[in-house]
Amino acid sequence: MYQLIQFISRQRAFILFAILEVLSLWFFYSYNNYPNAIFFNTTNYYAAKALETSNSITEYSNLRNVNKDLATENSRLNELVAKLQAQQLDKSIVNYKADSAVASRFKFVVAKVQNLTTTQFNNYITIDKGSADGLAPGMGVISSTGVVGKIKSCSAHISIVISILHSEYSVSAKLKRNNEIGSVKWDGVNPDIVEMTEVSRYKLVKPKDTVVTSDFNYVFPPNITIGYVKKVGVKADQTFHDIEVQLATNFHTLAYVYVINNKLMNEQKTLEEKTNDVKVK
Amino acid sequence: MTQKNILSQVLVFGFYLLLQIFFVRQLVLFDYAFCFAYIASVTLLPFETNRVTLILLGFFAGLTVDVFYNTIGANAAAMTLIAFLRPSVISLLTPQRGYDERQTLSLSSMGLPWFVTYTAVLTVIHHFVLFLLEASDWGLFLPVLLKVICSTVFTTVVIVIIQFFRRD
Repeated sequence: MYQLIQFISRQRAFILFAILEVLSLWFFYSYNNYPNAIFFNTTNYYAAKALETSNSITEYSNLRNVNKDLATENSRLNELVAKLQAQQLDKSIVNYKADSAVASRFKFVVAKVQNLTTTQFNNYITIDKGSADGLAPGMGVISSTGVVGKIKSCSAHISIVISILHSEYSVSAKLKRNNEIGSVKWDGVNPDIVEMTEVSRYKLVKPKDTVVTSDFNYVFPPNITIGYVKKVGVKADQTFHDIEVQLATNFHTLAYVYVINNKLMNEQKTLEEKTNDVKVK
Repeated sequence: MTQKNILSQVLVFGFYLLLQIFFVRQLVLFDYAFCFAYIASVTLLPFETNRVTLILLGFFAGLTVDVFYNTIGANAAAMTLIAFLRPSVISLLTPQRGYDERQTLSLSSMGLPWFVTYTAVLTVIHHFVLFLLEASDWGLFLPVLLKVICSTVFTTVVIVIIQFFRRD
């Protein structure tokens, strides 16, 4: 027993080192798997306050870019209003009428970016709205120019968003040209470029084609811009295109984002899961 | 160590952490070179600091920075490791005539070659652990290596520059 105590006291530095190292690694891996389990991140009240203060000092420097983005968005929205009004006129011809709950299922919440990274392998964005404003994990986030990501965890007034620049996040996408479905994922290297996969090589894809969100996801409304095709190649297996997509969102100057609250998300999800269960049986 | 010395050490430690969180965090060159100057908060503690204190402070500093990077655990793991290795690195780099008793761990006292080597060795270990953990994928080994090399140069230069503003 005495020897044991002596051993521990002689090796105390190493033992302490081993314990703290294991603890850190445990934090690291459990945070990646259970984001809400650990409190140590930017949803922490004090960390958020500190970031807000430092942000309020730096935010003036990119007001010019924010203004430009908002102006672009305004013009896009005006266009959209005009288009919808036009559609309204000849609507009587078509028998189809969207259920009012489905038509208005998306609600947008504006949030301000408090903190973001673009250069790590897994990038997150901290925004200044939380569960008090009706936000919940899983909701989609877009900017005035395109897709941004999806909420990972929320506290009352702060949320963390998994940016599309994250190694484990992919978005269901389609090419506007021919409605070809694929998925978009970041390869971890260049923060302006993402990869689009699962598009058959026999379909036509050209540089500058627009890539938008597909109709097949709960998170984003369809037809939100993701980016523009930059380079087209063929994958090593010869069946799919290898497409490089230039992101529409400029993450470097991101200041305001919209969180999309899909009111029917749970309804759709449970219904689809139920259907899948039946099929298996 | 006198009480005044301890107080000034605590202030310096806090200074490096605040510097990292509010200023240096935004510094990224060419998307590859990152600055983690806060590792100086542990690597530049006085020679006589014992290993247990080093490890505890390293863990604490890493965890604090992790909170702001949303990489909980990665910086802590890297900092704990370099805090543990620090005494070995110091004895490995012993000059031919041994360390003088009056020497302090600073640029002016140790000279540029020793200081840069020492900082670069610990920095490269820290960055390697940090970026590899973050990538969690051997397929990204080359970008990781590139990031480690660029960031080590960047961090070392920044730590040396800070030394020039130091008053002993």
